[in-house]
Amino acid sequence: MSSSTPPPIPTRSQEFWAGVRQELPLQLGVAPFGLVFGVLGIASGLTPLQTILLSSIVFGGASQVVFAQLWGAGVPAPFVGASVSVINLRHALYSASIAPYLRSLPLVWRIPLAYLLTDEAYAVTIHRLRNEPPSPHQHYHLVGTGMTLWVCWQITTITGVMFGATIPQSWSLGFAIPLTFIAIVAPAIRRRADLAACLTAGIIAALGQPLPWKSWIILAAIGGIAAGYLTHRHGIREATS
Amino acid sequence: MIWLVMIACGLFTFATRFVMFSDIAPRQLPHWLQDALGFVPIAVLTAIIVPAVLISPEGGLALAGNARLPAALVAITVALVTRSVLATIVTGLLALWCLDWLVY
Repeated sequence: MSSSTPPPIPTRSQEFWAGVRQELPLQLGVAPFGLVFGVLGIASGLTPLQTILLSSIVFGGASQVVFAQLWGAGVPAPFVGASVSVINLRHALYSASIAPYLRSLPLVWRIPLAYLLTDEAYAVTIHRLRNEPPSPHQHYHLVGTGMTLWVCWQITTITGVMFGATIPQSWSLGFAIPLTFIAIVAPAIRRRADLAACLTAGIIAALGQPLPWKSWIILAAIGGIAAGYLTHRHGIREATS
Repeated sequence: MIWLVMIACGLFTFATRFVMFSDIAPRQLPHWLQDALGFVPIAVLTAIIVPAVLISPEGGLALAGNARLPAALVAITVALVTRSVLATIVTGLLALWCLDWLVY
């Protein structure tokens, strides 16, 4: 009976290349974002080296955009750091969700795997971990997705930095940043609580413009999170009462 | 100074990714924290989108004569229909250029 023979265990290289293959289509969204970040970094007053290294030191698109904008606007360092931190807190969710599959690995594996844990790599690899049989080499899948994204992000950042100075201001390429985020946020609003988070953050961000040190970013973020959470809680209470 | 802040941001970001991989981490994040963290992307990204669309270079609210506003509405529609980042960026930028050229 063919059904009684267990499926062959995927090799390291099969897992790795499956990750690469599945991650590649997402680069259609990542590549323009990386290009625009490279352009924006230079336009905000960062040096080419700072812009390029930000992509490997922080390696988180939205937070890098905010870093460049805040630093370029002369915002004090603690506010820059706090804003970047709030934006990146979401990774703890990915870390928690993927940890059961990776926790038994030695530390020399867990450190680089954590570094590679971006939104897009997580989305692809958690799908494989949940839907395909566990295997001793399954962490190579995250190496594949993570490395693909990393390489694409570095190449497009460097390309953006190189061409940034030659792109005329009248092309309004900086507008690609909010457009990228619109593409992420608009389809993500599914529940009433999502809408509450979105509206609250948007209103605080618009009204808070006169506040010093661009502190509206962090206020809008915290306000939006609180509004979403409270609406969500309220919904649960209503449903259970 | 900027390097120090970059490295601090990098270390913190790494920590957010590593936190649940560590040996001392609890097995699970508390439920309330999971729920709250789920709203981080929407809140943060909206906080960046809204001023980039609505605020004039001088810092005031720009509604009339602001091509970015209708261009953003086009982009929201395209994002909802196609769910494609590339399609949203391309149509949003094209809309902005056309509106700038034709109307404003």
